Parts: sequence; C-alpha cells; structure tokens
Amino acid sequence: MLKLLKTIFKAGEATTQYPFAPAEVSPGFRGKPELDGLRCIACGACTMACPANALSMETDLDAGTRTWQLFLGRCIFCARCEEVCPTHALVLTSDFELSVANKEDLYQRATFKLQNCVECGKPFAPAKEVEYAMALLVQAGNTPEAVEASRAHYQTCPACKRKQNLNHPSQPEMGRYINQEVHK
Amino acid sequence: MNAVDKGANLIVPGMPTPVSIDEQVAKLKKTLLKDIQRSAYVYRVDCGGCNGCEIEIFSSITPVFDAERFGIKVVASPRHADILLFTGAVTRAMRMPALRAYAAAPDPKIVVSYGACGCGGGIFHDLYCVWGGTDKIVPVDVYIPGCPPTPYATIYGFAVALGLLDQKLKGTHLIQGEDDRVIPAFPNIPLDVRVMVEREARRMAGYLQGRQIAEKFLGLFDLKSPGEASAQLTQYLHEEADPRLSEIVMRLLEVTKAALA
Repeated sequence: MLKLLKTIFKAGEATTQYPFAPAEVSPGFRGKPELDGLRCIACGACTMACPANALSMETDLDAGTRTWQLFLGRCIFCARCEEVCPTHALVLTSDFELSVANKEDLYQRATFKLQNCVECGKPFAPAKEVEYAMALLVQAGNTPEAVEASRAHYQTCPACKRKQNLNHPSQPEMGRYINQEVHK
Repeated sequence: MNAVDKGANLIVPGMPTPVSIDEQVAKLKKTLLKDIQRSAYVYRVDCGGCNGCEIEIFSSITPVFDAERFGIKVVASPRHADILLFTGAVTRAMRMPALRAYAAAPDPKIVVSYGACGCGGGIFHDLYCVWGGTDKIVPVDVYIPGCPPTPYATIYGFAVALGLLDQKLKGTHLIQGEDDRVIPAFPNIPLDVRVMVEREARRMAGYLQGRQIAEKFLGLFDLKSPGEASAQLTQYLHEEADPRLSEIVMRLLEVTKAALA
C-alpha cells in the first residue's frame, strides 16, 4: 500500500491543465493558416497546391477583383500552401482552437484588385502581382528607371502584346529569351 | 393541393435533404447548448472516415487529456447519448446507418461535426460516393475542424459545444488597400543568388524545412561582408547544435560565396 502510494506520488499528475491553462504545442505544429494580406500578391499558387481544395480563388471580371478564400472546415493542415507561397504571405500558425458553432466563421476571405490592360482596358492579372514582377526585375539587376520606363508594356495583357508585335514587327517585345543574345 | 409549393419537399436526386428539427426540440436544444449542467454522454458515429479521428477521440479520453474531467463520456449506444459526434465524409453506404443513429438518440441532442471530412468533406469532398460533410444529412451545432483535430482541439470543441468556452475563430474578409505593394525580400542579395540558395536548401532539406533554412541563412547573410556573415552563421550553428543543419548551412555558404565572387 505504502509502496503504491509512493509510486503514485512519484509519478505526479499526468493530466494537462488545458483548457484552464494555455496548451503548449510542439515546435513545427501546423495550425490555422494565416494570410498576411499585405504580402499576398494573389498569384494563386496556394490554390493550385491545396490537395483538399480548401483554398480557392474566384475572379470577378466585372468588378475587377479576385477573391481568395480559405475554408478551414476542409483544410487538412498539410502546409503545402506555405511551401509554395512566393512572398511568404501564408504561414501556418500554432493556433488550434478553431471550433465554431456557425459554419460561416470557417471561411477566411481576401479580395484583391486586378490590373486593367492599358490597351484594351480589360483586367488580366492581379495589380500586386504585376508590381511585384517589376520589383523582381529591379532586384534581378535592371535599373529602376528602365523598368519604370516600360511600365506600359508590363501593364498590357498578353493578347494586346501579340497584336502590338504583329502591328510593329520592327520592334518586337518578345521577352528576354528571344531578345537575348544566345551564347554557345 | 395546388397551393402547396411543389419544390418545398421535393427530393432532388443526388442532393440529400438534411433532417429538420421542430420548434420545441430546437428550444430545448438551445438550453442544452447554453448550459448543460450535467455530464454529457458522447456517441461516436463513423460515417466513413479513415479512423484518424477515432484515434484522436480516444486519445482525448485518456488520462493525459482526460475529457472525463468535464463529465464527457463515450458511450456505446446512441440511445444513451447527448452529443453525437459525426466523423468522416458521409459515404453513400454509411449515410443510412448515420441517420439511424441520429434517429435513435433522444431529443434534444447536440450534433458535432468532427474533423475536416465531417466539416466540409475534407480531401474527399468531390468523390463520387461521398455526400461531403455531416451538415448535408443532419443539422450540425458545432464544427471541429482539423485532420484529425488534436486532443486539445477536441477538448476545446467539446467546451464550445457545452458552452464552457467561447468561440474564438471569426470569419474574416480582407480588402486590398489603395497603395498596397509587396517589396521582394532580401533586396541586397541578387535575385539569381537568392533563387540558387533556396533551390540548394530545398534540395538538401526538403521543401518546407529547406525554405525555412534558406530564409534564416539569407537573413543572416544580408547586408554583411562575407567575413561578418560567416561569424554570425557560426554563432547561429553553435546555438542550434545540429550537425544536419550545420552541413546544409555550410554548403549554402560555400555556394553563395562562389556565386558572389
């Protein structure tokens, strides 16, 4: 009897204090995905990677917006969205307290604006994505002035670019692969 | 007969009609959800899940997490149950057994949708033989997302169902501001070097960890002379004391120096 009591006291209390005390999760725990709306460029890489289709994007051409949506009820917390995010906007937090009584609360949404083509005026890509591509060109070694000078070119939709190239065959803007000198 | 709306009770093939509850039961249920004031008996209804959720439910009633502290007890019959815990994406074969379990439980009963499959069909949501979520067949009171929900998340879900804790998650809708602009990370490192470091780190450490290591490495390397960066990295590696991490970071340092030279 005494021996048993001794063993019990030695073992201490195994039960966690949660929910009366905050629970500690292990490092690398994959909890609720959190989108940093300021860093997101609405490229849609996460929606392509999501195996459960919890992430989706809907483009509204009339309103000129693209809405990103995360349905947490379908999310399997695999972190593939975090892996593919080019701007590190989507990160899995350690938040696990996700139970809700109302299903609407499981939806997280973010709306981004689309860039209108300077030629035809139709939206063709998220405005932030175009800006980010221009910033990357500066980082890749182009001067900011040169990138800024061809802003109209970057803000033109692919269809209009093709038309321009057909109309002005003497100055084609075919992209870096064709304009670059090829070294053997 | 003509006055009745024909569409109201029409059963559309392929689209399940959720069970509806009458007013009196709804009223009783409201009080039960608000404050149960007694033990809650849970019956677990498997609607075609992978058993991951079941394992987590049983681990949450073990002494470590001990849901029985709150009077939550898993029972073997739906006739004893106050809470019905629906797991799985509701397959065609398990729909009728699930409805029978629902009908067998005495009113008022709380229905909890457990796991990603229960909440929205999860990864199986568009399969041909799956209804895609508990709420397609029965009215759900509490959703516990997760694949599977951890025992902590399970306890939190029960606490929300029994009115012990309040719901924390809210639906959000961000709208892009006027001058939002994303600045590329590490502006002082040439783009091709950054891409090369990220690729090399991912090749050596896998996709997620590789990215984290590359980010840490570039953060320490940014803005510094190679000598200073080496000293900082050595200190970081010393603190981490992980030979695998050292191997990867030293390799990254090597390729970065070669690329910048």
